[in-house]
Amino acid sequence: MNKVFLLVALTAPLFAQDPRQIILEVQKRQHSDSQRYEGTLEVISQGNQVATKRWVYQRIGSFGNSKAILRFTAPAEVKGVGLLIVNHPDRASDQWMWRPAIGRDQRIALQDRSTRFFGTDFSFEDLEERDVDQYDYKLLADEGAMWKIESRPRKSSQYEYSYFWIKKDNYTFVKIEAYGKKGLVRTIDYKNYEQIKGIWTARVTEVYDVARKSRTILKYEKLEYNLPMKDDDFTLQALRRDL
Amino acid sequence: MILLRLISLPYARKHLLRCLLTTAGIVLGVGVFVGMRTANRSVLAAFNQTIDRIAGAAQLQVSAGEAGFDEDVLDQVRSLPEVRAAAPVIEATVATDKRNLLILGVDMLGDRSIRSYDLEGDDQAIDDPLIFLAQPDSLMVTKKFADERGLAVNSRLPMRTMQGDQVFTVRAIMKPGGLANAFGGDLAIMDIYAAQKMFGRGRKFDRIDIALGEGTVLEDATRKLQALLGSGFQVEPPSSRGQQFESTSRMYALASNITSVFALFIGMFIIYNTFAIAVTERRAEIGILRALGATRGQIRTLFLAESALAGLAGTSVGVLFGILMARAMAGYIGGLLTEVYGVAQSPGDLTLDPWLIGTAVAMGLVTSLVAAVIPARSAARVDPVKALQKGGYQSLGEGENRARRRWAMAFGVASVVAFVFSRFGIMTYVGFVLAILAAVLLSPAMSFRLARALRPLLAGLRPVEGALAADSLIQAPRRTSGTIAALMLSLALVISLGGLARASYDSLAEWMRIALNPDFFVTTAETLSSRSFVFPGSLADGLRAIDGVAEVQPVRSVRVMVKNALIMVIAGDIGNIAKRVHLPPVEGNSEEMYRLAAEEKGVVVSANFARLHDAHMGEVLEIPAPAGILRLPIVGVVDDFSDQQGTLLLNRGLFIRYWHDDSVNVFRVYVTPGADAAQVRQRILQAFGGQQRLFVLTNREVRDFITRLTDQWFGLTNVQTAVAVLVAILGIVNALTVSITDRRRELGVLQAVGGLRNQIRHTIWMEAIAIGIIGVALGLALGAVQLFYSIEIARRDLVGISITYAYPFQTALILIPVILGSALLAALGPAESAVRGSLIEALEYE
Repeated sequence: MNKVFLLVALTAPLFAQDPRQIILEVQKRQHSDSQRYEGTLEVISQGNQVATKRWVYQRIGSFGNSKAILRFTAPAEVKGVGLLIVNHPDRASDQWMWRPAIGRDQRIALQDRSTRFFGTDFSFEDLEERDVDQYDYKLLADEGAMWKIESRPRKSSQYEYSYFWIKKDNYTFVKIEAYGKKGLVRTIDYKNYEQIKGIWTARVTEVYDVARKSRTILKYEKLEYNLPMKDDDFTLQALRRDL
Repeated sequence: MILLRLISLPYARKHLLRCLLTTAGIVLGVGVFVGMRTANRSVLAAFNQTIDRIAGAAQLQVSAGEAGFDEDVLDQVRSLPEVRAAAPVIEATVATDKRNLLILGVDMLGDRSIRSYDLEGDDQAIDDPLIFLAQPDSLMVTKKFADERGLAVNSRLPMRTMQGDQVFTVRAIMKPGGLANAFGGDLAIMDIYAAQKMFGRGRKFDRIDIALGEGTVLEDATRKLQALLGSGFQVEPPSSRGQQFESTSRMYALASNITSVFALFIGMFIIYNTFAIAVTERRAEIGILRALGATRGQIRTLFLAESALAGLAGTSVGVLFGILMARAMAGYIGGLLTEVYGVAQSPGDLTLDPWLIGTAVAMGLVTSLVAAVIPARSAARVDPVKALQKGGYQSLGEGENRARRRWAMAFGVASVVAFVFSRFGIMTYVGFVLAILAAVLLSPAMSFRLARALRPLLAGLRPVEGALAADSLIQAPRRTSGTIAALMLSLALVISLGGLARASYDSLAEWMRIALNPDFFVTTAETLSSRSFVFPGSLADGLRAIDGVAEVQPVRSVRVMVKNALIMVIAGDIGNIAKRVHLPPVEGNSEEMYRLAAEEKGVVVSANFARLHDAHMGEVLEIPAPAGILRLPIVGVVDDFSDQQGTLLLNRGLFIRYWHDDSVNVFRVYVTPGADAAQVRQRILQAFGGQQRLFVLTNREVRDFITRLTDQWFGLTNVQTAVAVLVAILGIVNALTVSITDRRRELGVLQAVGGLRNQIRHTIWMEAIAIGIIGVALGLALGAVQLFYSIEIARRDLVGISITYAYPFQTALILIPVILGSALLAALGPAESAVRGSLIEALEYE
């Protein structure tokens, strides 16, 4: 028994230094069976023009094996447009868009995942959850309160690699820098962390598109975890249901 | 060079008008050649440019003829690792207040990996595709289109769609350049899924544009895609669309080539005539030169150099004239090709091809030189002693005449032999050329005989003037032989074109009477050739339910690749259609062919398809379709004029299964006997007109549309006719100007002995009318032969349709007063010049 304890005690720091384990720990700490929030998006162009949209986001399942539906609520022209994301642990997610005005859904092709998500500075790929096994990780630096980890996708991605900054104390993302073939593509900053139902949650995410020099600020409101949700609410049929 | 300066230049200065008239022939010939070819090329270049600009970064395109294919093909294409990006496209043209607008339906999410949109101002509107996608009325237009209509972002643009009248919103404006210049800038972009609804395309795409991954070999990717999709699909680079269109519009290109070559050929006769006259006129000059030691070679070179210079001048002006002409014609040709082939055209800037200009210059020069060869040879052979004697050299030598007649006879016989063996393609052309050559060689002798035959008639009308006019022609046949030959060829061309048009109209009228017998045609466009919009097949039931409708026959027509050409497939319920329409069979049994086609055991093809593409009864045709290759035997051949490249008549059920497409282009509607047709039409419009884009065309309107289209097509022959008549008038003016110069002394003497000015005028007028009569007689006769060959060539190689020979007497009757009137008009100037000339100068020699 003592030997076992000793072994655990000795391996624990090493275990914590394994970047894959760090990511797994992040995911574990942020785990919830379901999630819902109302998001406000502010897209700020290079010329400081601001476009605001609102959506409702619902998610069910574990990280990398989840389903999510995102539905726009404002402005009026886009109300009802929805996106269904079905994440898979072993491959890229499936995504469908629903357009109530023409009454049809459209599959978002893999080749289009690098395009901007409806005019925001996110890409469609940024919305999907990829299982930890779909990346190779390398711990690049221990920066005191944070780890800097390099992540390289094993499968097709617009990114060649990304750098994650993760806080040591609560295993939360602080920043991500995503690089493509030609260099830095976008940065994502996670801000205003709060504990909600025991889960450290960023209330603001800010994305910066390096090429376009535009920013998107996503504010999470009415965020709730572990609400009763059904699998049936995350299907194409459910997506097709208007608000 | 010295001779040119000392001899030719003063002569040219002295006979400036004649020089101008001579070069006018070349100007016209080269002008028509450059004009029609440039206009044609510009339209084709604009089409290719549109394809190129729309294709963007696409290296390959997947299509299945015009019918389109199911959306799931896109996933198949994208599954290939070699494919970096695949973007679906729908293309449609809609008529606007000014010109046609090409609407490109694209997937706004991923299309930027193929095409780039350079937008005005802040491009949020399109970079925020959410609004663009969420609102199906979203439209992106070019700056040119917007400026012309005073549109800005958020402006409204009404359009008639398959969802009824819709108002679109301009959400972005493309800057000029690149994609925005496609289709002459009359381009709009909309979301492809919205476009499917607007154009009634169901869940289909027209094609998929593909960009390949780095390092992928085009041929490898093509092979793999073809293997993946099957032979029902075409996997080709974007440029092949241009080639297909070029081959589809081959007939038009051929027609324009024939016109230009003919214009040059006729121009050659004018030059020949002028130089032949010049040689006769300048015999004394030539004699002096020869007496002073000039060699025969120098004399020959002098005349050839003069001709080359005249040719060069004529060619230069001709090229400029051609460019002006092309500018005027490009729009007309673009419109015609859009109407006839249903392929959107929008001519942009003129495309000047240096090779074409070079060829035109070479043709002009060669034509001038060839035309001058015989006169130059005659000049070189001039005997200096005889040349210095006056008179007696106007007539053709008997030996020369005999030689011409012998050649003419030989060509005539060879032409008949060629006609006997005309089943061997090329022999028809050989026979045609030989017949023309025989006629040209015979024309001096025929002119001489006709002039002699006319003498009593002319003398009867005006004893002095008539006799003088006839004698002028009889004594100097060389002066007018070229003009008469040119006139003959011009009129023969007019007769053959007129005959071809007349016979085509007759055949077309008969076909329309048999095939287009429904009371109404319910269509998606005012023109039957537009296939951008389609109806859902289900509309048939709605139409059948209308009170007063006896029968509704849905018809789908699309072009598909058969035998390496885009052929029109017409899919209808053959069983029902055959109850009301029996196209006369060219091959096969009428009852049997329709029965087999209705049972989906065969395909009925049009005669022009069979002839142009070497298809025969019983042959199994391979028709590519999205569901695979449809193999059907030809069970009948009928005369059908629906498309210039030919048509295949299929049963609709077969089409629906193989193309997965139940849409309809036209509903053929029969009204119940006794029902008020106007009321039925009104009921159809009331029931469906508000909900979707729908036109109810009456039988008369459809026939008028087809006739108008044919008029437009044959409108091209108006250019040919105009050229022919103009050349003829030029020739007459030329011949008379020369005649007057030549006979100044004779006319001077006539005036000196008391001849009245009016008598001189009447003499010239009568000579002109006599030239006109002889030219008309020979032209109408040669036209009869030429019409025969034209019909044969058109049947065999151009349109493949059997056209019954019918001499266009009406055209001939119109030509007689036109040419005689033109001849008289052409004579007015020279006649005045003759009476106003100085008597002292005229009698100087005496």
